[in-house]
Amino acid sequence: MRKNRAAYYGKKLLIFLISIFVLSIAVFYISRIAPGDPLVSYYGERAEKMTPEEKDLAREKLGLNDAIYVQYIKWLKEAFKGNFGISFKYKQDVLSVISGRITNTLILGGIGFILLFALALLLGIFCAWHEDRLPDRIVCQIGTATSCIPEFWLALVLILVFAMMLRILPSSGAYTIGGGGIADRIEHLILPVTVLIINHLWYYAYMIRNRLLEEVRENYVLLAKTKGLSKGKILFTHCLRNILPSFLSLMAISVPHIMGGTYVIETVFSYPGIGTLAYESARYHDYNLLMVLCIFTGIVVIFFNILAQIINERIDPRMKAEEALESGGDTVSG
Amino acid sequence: MDKQFELVGIVNAPDDGEKGRKTAVKKRPVVSAVILALIVLICLFCNLVMTKDPTYMDLYNCNVFPNGEFLFGTDMLGRDIFSMIWYGGRISLFIGFFSTLISTFLAIVIGSVSGLASPAVDTVIMRATDIFLSIPSLLIIILIQAILGTANALSISFVIGITSWTSIAKVVRTEVLRIRNSEYVIAARCMGSGLFHIILKHLIPNFISSIMFMVIMNIRSAIVTESTLSFMGMGLPVEIISWGSMLSLAERALMTSSWWMIVIPGLFLVATLLCITNIGNYIRKENNKSHSNL
Repeated sequence: MRKNRAAYYGKKLLIFLISIFVLSIAVFYISRIAPGDPLVSYYGERAEKMTPEEKDLAREKLGLNDAIYVQYIKWLKEAFKGNFGISFKYKQDVLSVISGRITNTLILGGIGFILLFALALLLGIFCAWHEDRLPDRIVCQIGTATSCIPEFWLALVLILVFAMMLRILPSSGAYTIGGGGIADRIEHLILPVTVLIINHLWYYAYMIRNRLLEEVRENYVLLAKTKGLSKGKILFTHCLRNILPSFLSLMAISVPHIMGGTYVIETVFSYPGIGTLAYESARYHDYNLLMVLCIFTGIVVIFFNILAQIINERIDPRMKAEEALESGGDTVSG
Repeated sequence: MDKQFELVGIVNAPDDGEKGRKTAVKKRPVVSAVILALIVLICLFCNLVMTKDPTYMDLYNCNVFPNGEFLFGTDMLGRDIFSMIWYGGRISLFIGFFSTLISTFLAIVIGSVSGLASPAVDTVIMRATDIFLSIPSLLIIILIQAILGTANALSISFVIGITSWTSIAKVVRTEVLRIRNSEYVIAARCMGSGLFHIILKHLIPNFISSIMFMVIMNIRSAIVTESTLSFMGMGLPVEIISWGSMLSLAERALMTSSWWMIVIPGLFLVATLLCITNIGNYIRKENNKSHSNL
């Protein structure tokens, strides 16, 4: 059994590593083939005034003249030493550019994530409680409508109303330049987090609602009811416990979606996170930075996808039961 | 009634649930279908309703509030928003449908091949799909679009199409695995029919209902992706009018609080997406009715 488990996690780890390797090659090649001159992003205006010889020298210095696979191997070697090169645009080590921004993204994404799932759970329970009755139907209608609103447009409308017309909330940035404490930070977070939650809430609340509705049709609910347990008690102590694995795997799957969401939201609110950074680096052909951001995003996405698989396959007791049956069958045949 | 003697089994009888479910299913999304049909028709025949040339930049009438002459006002470049809505809707809807066509085609081919092939080939294809799925699609789209150069409606549909087939392909594969060993498929193979014949005549009719919902949702997400890209300045340029590219001037509209430039195209976008979603949800419920055991 233990050997089985080691093999299982080993396999997942292998898939994880291969995925990241393939991802890094793909991004490396695509970003090198893409048109646009990285010299412009490195030297800015000066690049246009350089003579062809100077340009050649500059390319040589930045290692842009080699064949792409040679560049990739060089990059990989350096990456293992923890050196991901310098950002062409910021003239700084890539990691230090990212580390300056990543906390902002984590704050935005983290707060959004926690609030999102707390609200989704509450809303899911609320809808399941009132299944197919008026409150449920109203929430379902509103929910479907909100899930259709593109997040960038929602962000624009909120900026228009709260920042431009009512002038009560800031429209961009993560803090007021020059001053501001925690209150100021929170003020800047309200609109982005709202957009993040409204955009994703219904999708997850609806999943939780449907999962709960499946659960309340199980026979053990009848049994609990015959025992005289109240509706609330059955729902909260029995059904909720049973949907926990689905809830956890839902949370794991949601991480990539929410991450993609924060990238767009950051761009609209000019919020200084890694989303805006990724957008800028793709636009200005800042290869080294783009590579690291893509791979970072990829690692997070792949990690959470595999985590969701593991939760589904391992934590769900029914899976375990099946596995026990299978291994039991093995010993019989062996 | 005395609570102690409540008959629990009867109250919770599955019949009740069935009934509620059926009435919910029977409600056809008539309103959504009509609104969507109206939007599509008017966009198709936009020449009949447009009051101005949507591409003409009337520099004397930039940033005009909605009035009798310009029903929805004008944008920063002096173009009539009312005409642009219908003219641009054509492009947005085209991208939605065309990219879904591409992605569905890819999904059916890849899913069927994976389902019919030997387990080794199947594993390789599925792993590759997983890896592909794990790359954030917005990043790939931006990168591929950068290679293709300046975007037009065709190139952007192509890019969205080739990045959004994965989830449908997985469902297709599961379905194909289920039906590949049925007698009629084996019979067809024995009679020497080719891969495409089997896919067209035997597989597609069987799995079409299970992917229909996803296909419709793909139209929706393609329209969203196009508008998001165009808004961020990485999709269609301002000259090619679509609901997304109309919003790409939003940053400047914010400065002057010209709400109509942001709100009106967005409302059309949201209305279309909502109608598509309602129709999709209806189809999902219809299809689930037969084989779900709930």
